[in-house]
Amino acid sequence: MASPISAANAYSAIQRMGTGAALPVSRTDAGEGGATGGFANVLQQFAGGTAETARKAEGQMMQAAAGKGDLVDVVTAITESEAALETLVAVRDRMIAAYEEIMRMPI
Amino acid sequence: MDFLKSIQVAVSGLKAQSGRMRVISENIANADSVPQNPNAEPYRRKVPTFERRFDRELQAETVRMGKIARDQGSFKTRFEPGHPAADRQGYVKLPNVSSTIESMDLREAQRSYEANLNVVSSTRRMIQRTLELLRA
Repeated sequence: MASPISAANAYSAIQRMGTGAALPVSRTDAGEGGATGGFANVLQQFAGGTAETARKAEGQMMQAAAGKGDLVDVVTAITESEAALETLVAVRDRMIAAYEEIMRMPI
Repeated sequence: MDFLKSIQVAVSGLKAQSGRMRVISENIANADSVPQNPNAEPYRRKVPTFERRFDRELQAETVRMGKIARDQGSFKTRFEPGHPAADRQGYVKLPNVSSTIESMDLREAQRSYEANLNVVSSTRRMIQRTLELLRA
């Protein structure tokens, strides 16, 4: 069970992870733009990165289907996109849990 | 991320080993390739080489196939006077491919490929185990 403090820690850690990701998404409302803006922004960044790797994997698959790609390249691209997707799902679940935890906090 | 880097390095190993498999299969397939006339040479065994390569994008040392060298060993001969490639004494030059050596090389390539596959699957397992920390 996550306590409110650990939930808040997880949230700030996720925010830091989001800042570390080098993605061309504007982050104007990340700082003091309110909790919803921060959550949405972090999720958007992660989703953008995952979509990028998924597109790469798809491109490799298309090449393989056309008989041009290397089997090893296809497998690696899919593995990478799978890892990115799993990270996204795990982080999203954790973030939503943290958000719910914060919402349940007695004021 | 270091995990993805090690997967990429292992993939370079996989590619190098599959290139080596290709060379070995050429050797085995051409084990009986004899010349058409007495002056020509039969198939000369190919020897795959590997070289290290520093991948700047990855910041890691990968491997790739180097130049494919030719085995300079002497050819085998067989007494077959009626053959179009037989010399004046009736001997035909045969490729310097030994099926025993080739099958040993094949097995080695297979084992190296498996070792690299193991690196990929262990790395994947490590990534997944790390993510499970978040789910607990």
